[in-house]
Amino acid sequence: MKRKNKKFQKRSSNSLNKLSLFQKNDGKFSKKCPLSVKDAPIVDYKNVSLLKKYISDNGKIISSKITSVSFGKQKKLTKEIKRAKILGLI
Amino acid sequence: MAFYENTIIAKQDLAEKDIKSIKEKYNEIINKSSGKVLKIEEWGLLILANKIKNYKKGFYIHYKFEGNNKTLDEIRKKIKIDTSIIRHLTVKYKELDVEKEYFQKK
Repeated sequence: MKRKNKKFQKRSSNSLNKLSLFQKNDGKFSKKCPLSVKDAPIVDYKNVSLLKKYISDNGKIISSKITSVSFGKQKKLTKEIKRAKILGLI
Repeated sequence: MAFYENTIIAKQDLAEKDIKSIKEKYNEIINKSSGKVLKIEEWGLLILANKIKNYKKGFYIHYKFEGNNKTLDEIRKKIKIDTSIIRHLTVKYKELDVEKEYFQKK
């Protein structure tokens, strides 16, 4: 059992540890959520400069797959973006 | 009692006197109907992202206050009749951050 565990850890830690080019790299490009770090900016409808980062040029909300925002924060983001749109800030 | 934030967008073509009177009018309405105003902010004349009732600019006034359903009902009633206001938004908060301002004049 111990040996198996070690092998698994090595694989997940190093992304260049591949046998061939066609091997799938599962979950190696995952970033951490930028809004749930320590001293993260406050998600609020008044904080327009932050919200503008998470909408496209057409005013659509960008999905969390691309921005790697966590599930809870993404829900809050959509709420605040919609509030800002009501007031005509975005 | 809970904390609320209320933002009002007034028409662009009003004189400064009218805006002052609007600001004091809603301050009184909140204070009279069992509420308490903690802070008033003026965001000034901002360009709207899209046209609202054929206006391109609006004058923003922001209130932070404490109150209950009665205060909210009073505000909603008065805003509905008021012709000089284009749009409004009230948001409930558990805690209010009174110090930070996002729209500061330079």
